[in-house]
Amino acid sequence: MKAETQAQPGTPTEPNPDALLSVRGLVKNFPLTQGVLFRKHIGDVQAVSGVAFDLHKGETLGLVGESGCGKSTVARVLLRLYEPTAGQAYFKGRDVFSLGRRDLRQLRREIQIIFQDPYSSLNPRMTVGDIVAEPWAIHRDVASRRERRTRAQDLLERVGLNPDHVNRYPHQFSGGQRQRIGVARALALNPEIIICDEPVSALDVSVQAQVVNLLEDLQDEFGLSYIFIAHDLSVVRHISDRVAVMYLGKIVEIGDEEEIYEHPAHPYTQALLSAVPVPDPKLRGKRDRIILTGDVPSPADPPSGCRFRTRCWKAQPICGQKEPALTPRSRLHPDACHFSEVREVVPVES
Amino acid sequence: MRKARTALADIEFGPSQHLLEVRELAVEFNTDYGNVHAVNGINYTLDAGETLAILGESGSGKTVSALAIMGLIDRPGRIAEGQILYKGIDLLTLPTAERRSVRGAEIAMIFQDALSALNPVFSVGDQIAEMFVVHRGMSKKEGMRKALELMDRVRIPSAKERLHDYPHQFSGGMRQRVMIAIGISLDPDILIADEPSTALDVTVQAQIMELLKSLQEETQMGLILITHDLGVVAEVGDKVCVMYAGKIVEKASVSDVYESPAHPYTERLMNSIPRVNQKGGRLDPIKGSPPSLMNIPHGCPFHPRCPRARIPDPCRSEVPPLREVVTNRLSACHFAEELLAEEGVEVFAT
Repeated sequence: MKAETQAQPGTPTEPNPDALLSVRGLVKNFPLTQGVLFRKHIGDVQAVSGVAFDLHKGETLGLVGESGCGKSTVARVLLRLYEPTAGQAYFKGRDVFSLGRRDLRQLRREIQIIFQDPYSSLNPRMTVGDIVAEPWAIHRDVASRRERRTRAQDLLERVGLNPDHVNRYPHQFSGGQRQRIGVARALALNPEIIICDEPVSALDVSVQAQVVNLLEDLQDEFGLSYIFIAHDLSVVRHISDRVAVMYLGKIVEIGDEEEIYEHPAHPYTQALLSAVPVPDPKLRGKRDRIILTGDVPSPADPPSGCRFRTRCWKAQPICGQKEPALTPRSRLHPDACHFSEVREVVPVES
Repeated sequence: MRKARTALADIEFGPSQHLLEVRELAVEFNTDYGNVHAVNGINYTLDAGETLAILGESGSGKTVSALAIMGLIDRPGRIAEGQILYKGIDLLTLPTAERRSVRGAEIAMIFQDALSALNPVFSVGDQIAEMFVVHRGMSKKEGMRKALELMDRVRIPSAKERLHDYPHQFSGGMRQRVMIAIGISLDPDILIADEPSTALDVTVQAQIMELLKSLQEETQMGLILITHDLGVVAEVGDKVCVMYAGKIVEKASVSDVYESPAHPYTERLMNSIPRVNQKGGRLDPIKGSPPSLMNIPHGCPFHPRCPRARIPDPCRSEVPPLREVVTNRLSACHFAEELLAEEGVEVFAT
């Protein structure tokens, strides 16, 4: 089976020279094989299928979608933790995916990641100081051996931890504090972009706000750009300047935070937003609720045409025949639906 | 529908009695590191057809209190104190055999993580049928017939073909439906749902909450919903108990609590969360993190994090009792009246 290499229709193929990071036609397939001795390639899990977006300096791009939609895969491919099947990602004009080993190492300074689980992403046998200083063992020119300890302490202080705790181990910290350690480690190499992969989902409700505020402060201080991946649409709205909604490996709608939340044009975005519980009992029974039927189809065998059509209440024969292009339709921001129409599903604040 | 043939099922209980009444329940775990006071004297009632939400962060004792009702507290844990009255009978004094007949048939529970709650080596049909074989003495064949009925009732598509499938062949949402099918199989009077939708995507979460609500309308069972999600509580709860460090700190109708919280913890929690119908702006987090249950602060457990705390007196020196501040509104804060008065609620003269 030949890997699908073309970009999602409607998306640009040329990089945007004004953007810090310009992703074009990004495809990532995971091969499915059969047999033990002779591994036969029997298909692909199409995790990401031709995604394109830009990230500007100092901006936060939210990436939302249900589990299995490919949002974490995008993050990992951008860091080349997975090799892409096709596509380009231009960081300051250079294609990240064609870099050799040495250049790649330089790149990883510029793009860092914070993981979801603050329990498993920190080595339990290393002290916090060593965890934060570890990036400098590879990028030796950033901090000399002598200054590492004080620099690690500075970083701990910067993320709101006690610098005297530099010799403690991860288990001596709470979940929120551990996530701060992860943030400090990501900052160690002065990156330009931090990819936050569900950074607050594992935290207690009362602690989430602390970490979100920290990320916002650091962004202001260091001019960082974030790709913020989360399934909690309330947190994403709060922190993002722009939001991309993904479904089965494709972006179905992308635009400014206000556009997406207040004027969603794609049925999937509408369904997603209408399902978010709102902590206001007065709205009970008064909301425009779209309850989708069924589950997300398998990315190994996605539906033809529009991938959302199997769960869509608007689906017509054309949806199975022709893939809708991601292009401005109902509003100025692009969405990928043949029957795009704005439907306001997020209740206005009371 | 046939009722459970247990001794308790035939008990007529007076209209003045509650279906379930938890009195002064305390649960502790004696570990090598010290005593963990997971639940410290909580009281609540539940009536038929009612939804009681128990809201709290991890470690607040919400799940342990539910396990106590189910009789599932095992060593090193023990119920240190209290009564659990089901239809007026104290479950804690029942002999093991009778206790077992209550579990599942009268009071059932569904768990957050359906994949680990289900047995991977038996088909879902087998696992639902087991309820009928064990509790009702039905044959395997009859049990499977019942299982099929139930899978239809929880709206698992093509139930007949899926009866012999194993848990791993189902999606997260479908697995949670299987859990619900097992939960309601013996037509219990009370269903305890422990974070039933937390691990699921929002669109599936909406489906599951919808299903639970409609099943409750059909059967008039009492539902105890354990969650940390303020949005879910607002959408389905009638009454809410807010738990913090093993205690109920506030108890009232959902609309009252959301309109004007009577405890600073609830108030601060509501202010700290981002909302999908609100744009950015800075979040107002609660400082610190939830206390360790081995080392609960003196006096009011929330005082180290409370902006209203008056230290040392009375907040650090005196444990505030949970008391009625306004008709049907309970709060465990020394300054609940003050807080409510600020919010424009008339309080009892003190």
